Amino acid sequence: MLKTLIEAFALISTWEVIIAMFAASVYGLVIGSLPGLSATMATALLVPVTFYLSPIAAIATIVAASSMAIFSGDIPGALLRIPGTPASAAYADEAYAMTRKGQAELALGAGVWFSAVGGIAGVLSLMILAPPLAEIALSFSTFEYFWLALLGLMCATLVARSSPVKAIAGMFIGLLVSCVGIENPGGVPRFTFGLTDLFGGIEPIPALVGVFAVAQVMRAMLTPEPPPLPRRKFGSIMAGQWKLTKKYHWQMTRGNIVGIIIGVLPGAGADMAAWVSYAMSKRFSKEPEKFGTGHVEGLVEAGASNNASIASGWVPSLLFGIPGDTIAAIAIGVLYMKGLNPGPTLFTEKASSMYAIYLMFIIANILMIPLGIAMIRVAAYILLAPRSTVMPIIMLCCAVGSFAIGNNMFGVVTVAAFGVIGYVMEANGYPVAAMVLGIVMGTMVEQAFVTSLIKSDGSILPFFERPVAAILAAMAIGALLWPVMVWVWRKLKPVQTAAATSR
Amino acid sequence: MRLPDSVTGSFLVVLGAAAAYGGWLLPPVPGQPVGPNVFPLVIGSGLALCGLAIVFGIGHSFEEEEELIPLEDGQAAAPSPPQGKLYGLRALLPPALLLFYVVAADRLGFIITAALMVYVTSTALGAKWKLALPLAALSPFAIHLIFGKLLRVPLPAGLLPTPW
Repeated sequence: MLKTLIEAFALISTWEVIIAMFAASVYGLVIGSLPGLSATMATALLVPVTFYLSPIAAIATIVAASSMAIFSGDIPGALLRIPGTPASAAYADEAYAMTRKGQAELALGAGVWFSAVGGIAGVLSLMILAPPLAEIALSFSTFEYFWLALLGLMCATLVARSSPVKAIAGMFIGLLVSCVGIENPGGVPRFTFGLTDLFGGIEPIPALVGVFAVAQVMRAMLTPEPPPLPRRKFGSIMAGQWKLTKKYHWQMTRGNIVGIIIGVLPGAGADMAAWVSYAMSKRFSKEPEKFGTGHVEGLVEAGASNNASIASGWVPSLLFGIPGDTIAAIAIGVLYMKGLNPGPTLFTEKASSMYAIYLMFIIANILMIPLGIAMIRVAAYILLAPRSTVMPIIMLCCAVGSFAIGNNMFGVVTVAAFGVIGYVMEANGYPVAAMVLGIVMGTMVEQAFVTSLIKSDGSILPFFERPVAAILAAMAIGALLWPVMVWVWRKLKPVQTAAATSR
Repeated sequence: MRLPDSVTGSFLVVLGAAAAYGGWLLPPVPGQPVGPNVFPLVIGSGLALCGLAIVFGIGHSFEEEEELIPLEDGQAAAPSPPQGKLYGLRALLPPALLLFYVVAADRLGFIITAALMVYVTSTALGAKWKLALPLAALSPFAIHLIFGKLLRVPLPAGLLPTPW
C-alpha cells in the first residue's frame, strides 16, 4: 500500500504532469466560464492533445479540466444569470439573485469552496468504493457483464430529462453506431458500405467531439449573443465560507452523497446531480420560502453535489468501462488509448496508476481554490471575449483535433456528421448523452451478449443462474419496466380521482 | 430544426428496419449459432419499436417542455434577429466548413483553409471585418504552433508553408 502510494507520487511528480495539470486547469476554468461551452466539450477538445502526453499526464489533464470547468460554470451563472455549463443551470437564478443583493462574493466563494469540498468527497468515494467493488467484479462472467451493461444503459434512459422512449431510441442509435466496422464476432465488414474508412469502425472520440463541440457551434449560429459582463470589484471571496460550512454542514454532506450516487449511475452526471440536490435542498430546508430570493443554502448543496459527481463518475468507468457520465465516457476513450483498459484488474495490476488518479483528483480540487479565486477576479475580462472570436477557434480545434486522432481526414468527416446528428437529436428531444453511452459501451455490450449467448447454447437459463447475475438482471428489467409502471400509474390516477369526485 | 415526433419516429422505424435487415444478411460464423448478425438484429428491432412508440406519442407526457434551457431566459426581452426561411440553414454552416476543410486542406494547405474557416464562422456570428480579419490571420498560426509544432500533427503545408 505504502509502496504503491510512493510509486504513485513518483508518477505524478514529473514536470510533464505538473505542467499538463496546471495548463489544463486554466483551460478548464476559461472554457467552463464561457457560456455555451460545457465541461464535456472542454474535455472532448482536450483529447487530441492527450495523445501526445504520457498516460498519467493525459489523465491529469482530463481530471483537472473537468473539475475546474464544472466550478467555473458558476461564475457567469452568478454574474449574468447564464450558466457557463449545464451543471450550473440548476442554481444560476439563485446565485444571480444573491449578486443583485450585493452578495456576489459570497455566492462565488460558496461556488469555489463547496466545489472543492465536493470534489474531494467524490475522490474519497472513488478510493473507498472502487477497490472492494473490483474484488467482487473479478468473479464476474460475461453474464454479469451483460446485465451490468444493460443496467447501465437503462439507468441512462431513466435519468434523462426527456421521454424515456426517446432516450432508449438514442441509446439504440449509439449502439448501432458501434456496430460499424469489422470488429465484431464474425470479423466481417458490417455496415461499412464498401468504404475502407469505415472498416475500423467509428471512433468514439471524434463522435463525441462532434456531438458536444460542433453541435454547440451550430446552436450558437441560431441563438443571440449573451450580454457582456458588467465589470465589478470583488471583496474577499473566501470570507464567511467557513461559517457557511459549519452552518450548512448537513446540507453539504447530503449534497456530497447525492452527487456521489448520481455520479456512479451511468449516464447521469454533474447537471443531474445539481438539479436533484437543489430540489432536495429546497424540499428539506427549514426556510424554503427563502429559495429563489438569493439564499445560499441551495448553492451549498448543489455546488457540493455537482463536483462530487465528477470523481465518482470514474468508479464504474474504471471498474467496468461503463461511463458514469459523458465526461467519464471521454475519459474511457483515453484510458483505452493509453493502455489502461478499464476493468477490475486495473486495481491490482496498475495499482500505482490508480493511486496516481486519486492523488491528481485531490490536487486538482485543492488547486481549484487559489485558481478559482484568481479566475473570479479576471472573469470580467475573459467574458469580454465575444462569441464570434471563441467559436471559430473551437471550430479549428475540432478540425485539427479530429484529424490528429488518426492523422486521417475521415475523422473530420465523422466530427461534421456527428455534429449534425447531435444537433438534430438535441433539437427534437432525444438525449444525446444516451447515444454517447451507446457508442462508448457498444462493443463491450455486444461482446458480453454474444459470448453469453454462445456459452448458454441457446438456453436462456444461464443468464439468470448465477446469483449476482440474477440480481443484476432483476434490476435491469426493473429499470426497463419502471417508465411503463409510471405511465400506467399516471393513466390510472386521473380515472381514480374522477371516480372519487363523482361519488 | 424541431420536427414533429411522427417524422423522427418514422425515420427511426426505417433506420431500425434497415439495420435489422442489414444484420440479417450478414454471413453467420460457420458452426456457431450466433455471429455478427445477432446484435444488429436485436438493436434494429429495438430501434424500430422505439420509433413506432414515438410515432404513437408514447412517453410524450414525460417530456419537460423547454424547461431544459433556462439559458435563453434572460435574453427573451432582446429583439429576435431577422428570421427568414433560410435562417435555420445557418446551423449547417459549421459542418459544411468542416467538410470544406476535408476537401481543401490538402490542396490549399492548413493556414489558408483555416483562415477561411475562421473568417466565415466569425462573420456568421456577427463579427465585423475589423475583428474577423485579424482573427483569421492570426489564429491559424497559433493553432499550427500548438498542434503542428508542439504536438507534431502533420498538418498539410499546401500553398503557404509556415515559417517554422
